Amino acid sequence: MKNKLILAIASAPYSIATRLMPGLLLSVALLVGLQLALINPAQARSYDDILAAGRISVAVYRDFPPYAYEVDGKATGLDVELAREIAAGLGVELDLHWMIADENLDDDLRNHVWKGHYLARIEDEPMLRREVADVMLRVPYDREFAYKVDPDGRVINDLVHFFGPYQREHWGLVYDSQRMESFENLAVFQYERVGVEIDSLPDFYLSSAFRGRLRNNVEHYSSTALALDAMAQGRVPAVMGMRSQLQWGVGGLAGSERIKTADIPFPNLTKRHWDVGMAVKDAHRQLAYRIEDVIDQLVANGQMKALFGRFGVDYSRPDRYRVQ
Amino acid sequence: MKDQASGLRGLALTSLVAAMTLAGAAQAKVTDQDILKDQATAQDVVSNGLGPRAQRYSPLARVNGDTVQDLRAVWAFSFGGEKQRGQESQPMVKDGVMYVTGSYSRVFAIDVNTGDELWQYDARLPENIMPCCDVINRGVALYDDLVIFGTLDAKLVALNKDTGKTVWKKKVADYKAGYSISAAPMVVKGKVITGVSGGEFGIVGKVEAYDAKTGKKVWTRPTVEGHMGYLNGKENGITGGEAGKSWPGDLWKSGGAATWLGGTYDPDTDLLFFGTGNPAPWNSHLRPGDNLYSSSRLAIDPDTGKIVWHFQTTPHDGWDYDGVNELIAFDYKDGDKTVKAAATADRNGFFYVLNRTNGDFIRGFPFVDKINWAKGLDESGRPILSEANRPGNPSESTDGKKGKTVVAAPSFLGGKNWMPMAYSQDTGYFYVPSNEWEMDIWNEPTAYKKGAAYLGAGFTIKPINEEYIGVLRAIDPKTGKEVWRYKNNAPLWGGVLATAGGLVFTGNPEGYLMAFDAKTGEMKYRFNTGSGIVGSPITWEQDGEQYLSIVSGWGGAVPLWGGEVAKRVKHLNQGGTVWTFKLPAKDEMAAR
Repeated sequence: MKNKLILAIASAPYSIATRLMPGLLLSVALLVGLQLALINPAQARSYDDILAAGRISVAVYRDFPPYAYEVDGKATGLDVELAREIAAGLGVELDLHWMIADENLDDDLRNHVWKGHYLARIEDEPMLRREVADVMLRVPYDREFAYKVDPDGRVINDLVHFFGPYQREHWGLVYDSQRMESFENLAVFQYERVGVEIDSLPDFYLSSAFRGRLRNNVEHYSSTALALDAMAQGRVPAVMGMRSQLQWGVGGLAGSERIKTADIPFPNLTKRHWDVGMAVKDAHRQLAYRIEDVIDQLVANGQMKALFGRFGVDYSRPDRYRVQ
Repeated sequence: MKDQASGLRGLALTSLVAAMTLAGAAQAKVTDQDILKDQATAQDVVSNGLGPRAQRYSPLARVNGDTVQDLRAVWAFSFGGEKQRGQESQPMVKDGVMYVTGSYSRVFAIDVNTGDELWQYDARLPENIMPCCDVINRGVALYDDLVIFGTLDAKLVALNKDTGKTVWKKKVADYKAGYSISAAPMVVKGKVITGVSGGEFGIVGKVEAYDAKTGKKVWTRPTVEGHMGYLNGKENGITGGEAGKSWPGDLWKSGGAATWLGGTYDPDTDLLFFGTGNPAPWNSHLRPGDNLYSSSRLAIDPDTGKIVWHFQTTPHDGWDYDGVNELIAFDYKDGDKTVKAAATADRNGFFYVLNRTNGDFIRGFPFVDKINWAKGLDESGRPILSEANRPGNPSESTDGKKGKTVVAAPSFLGGKNWMPMAYSQDTGYFYVPSNEWEMDIWNEPTAYKKGAAYLGAGFTIKPINEEYIGVLRAIDPKTGKEVWRYKNNAPLWGGVLATAGGLVFTGNPEGYLMAFDAKTGEMKYRFNTGSGIVGSPITWEQDGEQYLSIVSGWGGAVPLWGGEVAKRVKHLNQGGTVWTFKLPAKDEMAAR
């Protein structure tokens, strides 16, 4: 155990030294490396460390098409492709860090950005090290959330730096035009059923709206993708969910030409759209700035739009790129 | 050939018998009779709760008010490694060997005489499990030559008691769908009976029976109305008759009602008693109706898995008042008449005495000082609600603001949580580990989940009193009177044990094993175990001396929630140690 520790400390500065520093600084680097190993148990690394290691770990949600998923054992998705662009932009190799969603974003940030999940402890390590990622994708970018305080007035996510909004996400509703005539508002769902992902905002919204009059027609599925499958099989005529998920899902269905997007109002729905960005540990802003440069370029030169287009999703720019 | 083989087997059997004789009772297997009589046979502990009714009462009296001060620690066994966190286990003892579980689905066999480890089993957990509430395990079941326990990835594992090697392993539910097991299984009539734990949404609670020797599934009984039960692979009736009677739309498909604390068994009525968790989703405004059988006690036929009766403590639960707490069978005299009763202290703050033959409500009363979600119970035991204290509907928060805060008492961690109470056959009192706390709940529109906008509920748990949260109470089930109380600064989270020595044992998060006079509540003994106690004590007799063991190791659900309660517990250190005490024979003599 002890030998292993020494080796681990010695190997990282060695690569820094060979790539960036003359031999004179080796001892300084060793000291820095030692401090990092001891002070930084959570393992999220600085920009310099990432360059030195030649690798970056990027957190994406597991089994979450079209953002991150696997096809025949190969990772793909909007966020996976974006992670590849980020790694390429920094000139390093990519390690994907797959996340299982916890109950809310605060939990995911704790588990994957600043602390690590208590089950994700690295075995055989001398300290209580838990694996976290260098950067997490698909993090809603919302100042109000970022500065949210707990009942004692402390900022809940003060160890997280939110940055790099790269997409605007919207709620949407699609329906099978052969099973439903076009409609102008949600009242039709007093008579027709609609599929939603369980415990999602569309679930709460449709189950509560109009004093619960739609409630009995809300069909629950464990994911939006499964709700779309049910629609393809004629088991439910409409689905409400995130617009990019709906667009991607419908694109893959047999008879997708029958599926139409409903352009109707959603009265009293909080947050019809929101921006999605990234998060790093608060101490690593330099990394965030570099990644933001990469994103700026992807948006400016149209690569981002093309990337989304490859998944059948209309790219919607976040606020940051609308202001310009 | 055949004869020769059987001849050899005969020879082997003879030498085995000889070995058994030499080793005394060391080779005895646990039988159904051993489990049924566990309370009366003080030389071992082969069931969770010291007997299938889980009264947690021992007839041993060597350790009593006079001798308890001479109780000596004889060894302390560390679970080792970096895997600490909450230790909520109750040890078992059979033939001088202790079987105890640790956090992260570990099992240890320990020689009681020396404290030496005989074997250790570490379940290999998948890397991507997400159990909701810490990594605790509450103990094993013993049967035949097997040590059986449930894992965080929702499997039942049976180990050989001598080697710790796996004999059989069965998947009870899919951990990827959010299921887990933390409770100790129990064995009734040769069958291992287990429930399941699960997160907030998407799961359906169930109780299942497996052949204890082979792991073959015998029956399964979902705990939410509308789901089919099975017996020997064949359909065996839908829970509650049909879907949709007490649930809107299709919400019964994912109704929750997890059976996460396991159950008890009453040999007298031949019924299993299981509690069920809160209904899903957490927002009660989305699911008008009673939402059966969430937050209920179920009496189940151990042979078929049929629900014989149910009693719902919190219909249409909107406070997360799980109804899982143990239902303990006991008899009492009402004049000349013996009443076959069962009692439970619910998360919702009420203590219920039921007729255990049919589930009828006999009486109920508050066992905590403050309850504001209900004004009381009606004559059938149903709560009379204070709707103003029901948490609001987040969907009504359309302005993006936090909305009004509702204060509800008890907090969702309950007037009493999982920690088992004890019933003394001598005093006729229940000894209830309880907590005085309330919660603020508000709608939280600035919430996100898996990259999507969401409407959450914010909450914080607050102590009701400056000086204490935990209260150990002696409660008379016949009158509802509190006979005595012991106040504890931190919340109580460990089990209780009553003995014929007139003592009540429990531990606290501050680390003390404590003994109280069962009649007066006077503290007679305490010992600091070095980390918080959230496990349950046991006692047994070996070589003419009375032993007592408790697991020490702070954790469980309390430290997972912050707020003002955190201030009382954040300085407590984690651990993972079995402490074993005995009353040396010489000290017992001296006390006489």
